[in-house]
Amino acid sequence: MPDLPSGPALLALARDVLLRELMPLLPEERRPDALLVARCMAIAEREAETGESPERELQDLYGAGGDTDELLRRFARELRIGAFENSRDSGARARAILWRLTVAKLRRSNPEFLAANGIDRPGGVVGRAEACRSPVSGKRLTPSPAAKSSL
Amino acid sequence: MAGTASLRSEPRRAPLARFLAAASGAERVEVAALTRLRGGALQENWALDARFSGGALAGDQRFVLRGSAATGVAGSLTRLQEFAVQKAAFAGGVTVPEPLFASEDPAIFGKPFFIMRRADGIAVPNRITGDEALDPALPALAERLGRELARIHTIRPRRPDLAFLTCTETGPIRQIAGFRAYLDGHPIPRPVLEWGMRWLETHLPPPAEPVLCHRDFRTGNYLLDGGLLTAILDWEFAGWGDPHEDIGWFCCKSWRFARLDREAGGIADRAPFYRGYESQSDRSIDPDRVRFWEVLASVRWAVIALQQTDRHMIGGERDLDLALTGRRATECELELLMLLDPGGNLPDA
Repeated sequence: MPDLPSGPALLALARDVLLRELMPLLPEERRPDALLVARCMAIAEREAETGESPERELQDLYGAGGDTDELLRRFARELRIGAFENSRDSGARARAILWRLTVAKLRRSNPEFLAANGIDRPGGVVGRAEACRSPVSGKRLTPSPAAKSSL
Repeated sequence: MAGTASLRSEPRRAPLARFLAAASGAERVEVAALTRLRGGALQENWALDARFSGGALAGDQRFVLRGSAATGVAGSLTRLQEFAVQKAAFAGGVTVPEPLFASEDPAIFGKPFFIMRRADGIAVPNRITGDEALDPALPALAERLGRELARIHTIRPRRPDLAFLTCTETGPIRQIAGFRAYLDGHPIPRPVLEWGMRWLETHLPPPAEPVLCHRDFRTGNYLLDGGLLTAILDWEFAGWGDPHEDIGWFCCKSWRFARLDREAGGIADRAPFYRGYESQSDRSIDPDRVRFWEVLASVRWAVIALQQTDRHMIGGERDLDLALTGRRATECELELLMLLDPGGNLPDA
């Protein structure tokens, strides 16, 4: 077992020092770079902490265990040729997995973007936009009941 | 590009001064300043101040030198081709910095480059879309950008000066084939992109009469000075294509930055942008075609984002900004889901 503080905790601390203490000392033109560094640290911190593994749903889809990378490749190959378009159920199931894979990745790499799209609002981070509008109808895209319950 | 200016050696000024003198007919040119500009993820832009003694440009001049980056992204024009496109746009009355000289001689700058006049203004997208002080000027800006885009689209094929642009290279079928070929060689499978491309393939619009498309016409690629448009930049992806491709690209969510709710480039509703476009164009905008190209825009930007990170991972360009850009592909995938499955089955937090 590694020593404490944990890797993610050290990253959080280092990020805090960078943003609060070091940033004001930097010349103006280098501050955007410091923000990029802080963003990298935040991603690394969340990826180290997360226990989510939405790829498990792929194993359910295919009724097979084993290498999730290989299942993901198979899923991508089959989507390319429209393999889930034969029935409404399999199409809906495939799309549900796509949503889960995508939202899980964004929770790690960019939760602010999810919040800005009205999907998650973690840690009090609130996006400016409530929801985007459909480019066709102009109507606001309403999150599903599942998403509403998580707001 | 963030954090890289100090890592690159400043090119020698003397060969540039000799080149400028010969190109402009000056007796002598002094390069007073040569500074790497931020931005320009794909190419290097340098602010160049020069004093010309005699010749067509006698006096003090402010230029931008645009040179090729060490590594590139597939589908971009060479600097000399971009120079030719920018000249055609300038001649067509588009608000674009006047392109002046170009050279591929490595003895001058070490790489191909062209030189254009320098326009004032900011391009930083989060400032343009996020600064409330600019808000009153933005609907008029959207309308102006619509007119500018329509003017670009008046440039049509069969131009000897643009003979290097080919129609088929940028059609949707060719683009999708290119994206798939790229993803086949990418280590991480992208099921959402595959699903999005399948939708595109099964919803192809009838072919359109081609026009010159900028193909990166978006917030971040124009300069704004006090709320007024001063320049449309970055022509390296230009090609013949469906005019709706530029409209879909401009409106796609990736380029709305601080204001996802303002669908025309994060600056306004679509209405003023469309109104400006249709006021200058002999064609009306077809919303279904825009939607198709908006879906394609999300796939295309996802692939470009992954390619940008390849420049760091594979191409050896050590750069934080490039390293992070690939992460934006997942944002595009969320947008694809929101566009094509708006009632989607979202997971619990």
